[in-house]
Amino acid sequence: MKHWRLVSLLLVVVLLSTMVAACKPKEKSKLDQIMEAGKIVVGTSADYPPFEYMDENNEFAGFDVVLMNEIAKRMGVSVEWQDISFDGLIGALKAGKIDAIIAAMSATPERDKEVDFTIPYLEGTDAILVAEDSDIVINSPEDMGKYKIGVQSGTIHEQWVDEHLPDAQVSRYERADQAIMDLKSGRIDVVAMDYYAAQAYIQQGGIKLALTTNLSGENMAIAVPEGSTELKAKLDEIIQQLKDEGFIDKLAMEYLVNQE
Amino acid sequence: MLKAASEALPYLAEGTMYTIAISVISLFVGLIIGVLLAMMRVYGGRLARGFASLYILILRGFPSLVTLFIVYFVFASSVNLSPFLAGCFALGVTSSAYQAEIFRGAIQAVSQGQMMAARALGMSRWQAIVHIILPQAFRNAIPGWSNEAAVVVKDSSLVYAVGLAELLRRSQQVAARLRAPLLIFAIAGLIYFLLTFATNRLLSWLEERLRIPQMLEAR
Repeated sequence: MKHWRLVSLLLVVVLLSTMVAACKPKEKSKLDQIMEAGKIVVGTSADYPPFEYMDENNEFAGFDVVLMNEIAKRMGVSVEWQDISFDGLIGALKAGKIDAIIAAMSATPERDKEVDFTIPYLEGTDAILVAEDSDIVINSPEDMGKYKIGVQSGTIHEQWVDEHLPDAQVSRYERADQAIMDLKSGRIDVVAMDYYAAQAYIQQGGIKLALTTNLSGENMAIAVPEGSTELKAKLDEIIQQLKDEGFIDKLAMEYLVNQE
Repeated sequence: MLKAASEALPYLAEGTMYTIAISVISLFVGLIIGVLLAMMRVYGGRLARGFASLYILILRGFPSLVTLFIVYFVFASSVNLSPFLAGCFALGVTSSAYQAEIFRGAIQAVSQGQMMAARALGMSRWQAIVHIILPQAFRNAIPGWSNEAAVVVKDSSLVYAVGLAELLRRSQQVAARLRAPLLIFAIAGLIYFLLTFATNRLLSWLEERLRIPQMLEAR
């Protein structure tokens, strides 16, 4: 439950910071600030391959990273990456420490109250995983209710389980790899997580896919500070372009499907 | 896997440098403020005593992470601190509250007669504190202080929450990439152990080195 303490602390801080921020005079639009600085400061949580991680040369890499770099290139600015834990990203965006978040983050109504989201760049697909030697059969996500469930905290998977299976026994983890470890060791029976992120763990062995589903019907989008309409419009335009050109499909094939 | 892990070692070593830098600076900031607070609590007037007590009460009551978030996110709108500076400041201020109590105990453990003797020899109160009481108090403080040093080394990992990739955060990144959390966190644990071990050995050595044998018998 350490995590909930962290979230509530963060909320207090966010609240305080909004109060402080509200006293500040209005400034230039976020987009103008970015264009003037020639760089966009983007926050991510580089512990979620294949979406975002640090590669062998300790550079930011992954689907989201390549996508954001391309978007910035088309805006004519460079990207300054900041690695912040997933829980801290929205707080950092609200405090103005970063200009945008790209972190395989689903655009949920709850998050939408805190930040603004661009149009989705990737449709959400979720995986339900079980141990390799397990005989558990999952036909619908609700079937998870009978078992001990593992989710990464702060994700839509945790939220879905809380809403739809309030009586289920749920273990919450700070990172996805911790949930996978416990699944392998048998401390939990099923794990719900992002389909693409699950692929790498499946290839590593010890676990298998029980069901592919879309839990929330929600999709991944880039988060920008609330009220930064011009920045959102610019990003929307470029994301639409990249979709139309097939850039995103190609990237998804390369990073999310065909992994060695 | 072992090869990939060994290739990640320089990256982790760089993170260890951040961990060491944050710990050393925080401990130093905490030392300066802590000694001042301890002196305020022991020798200060009503106002100084009250201020020091309140400061210690509040900062010992806050989790270090809250202090860090307040420094980094709330003060962010007026002062733009880097994660590194915010971390050193927040951990230093938190540590100062604990160190203040360590030094207060250490000062009060120096026998009253020392002050009286110093004053009788014609020293001013301030001279007696600086030349007679504090040198003995610092010796008394070493065992307690080595505890605090070990705590700060490990608390330095909190700074990852505001985006500084120190040892723990880098371990998380590498563990996620290699999908070998057990191995990588064992390495990180070993590094933290070595850091605290070295700190405590250094302080034991210092304690032994500075010991005044006659003083112990005289008590």
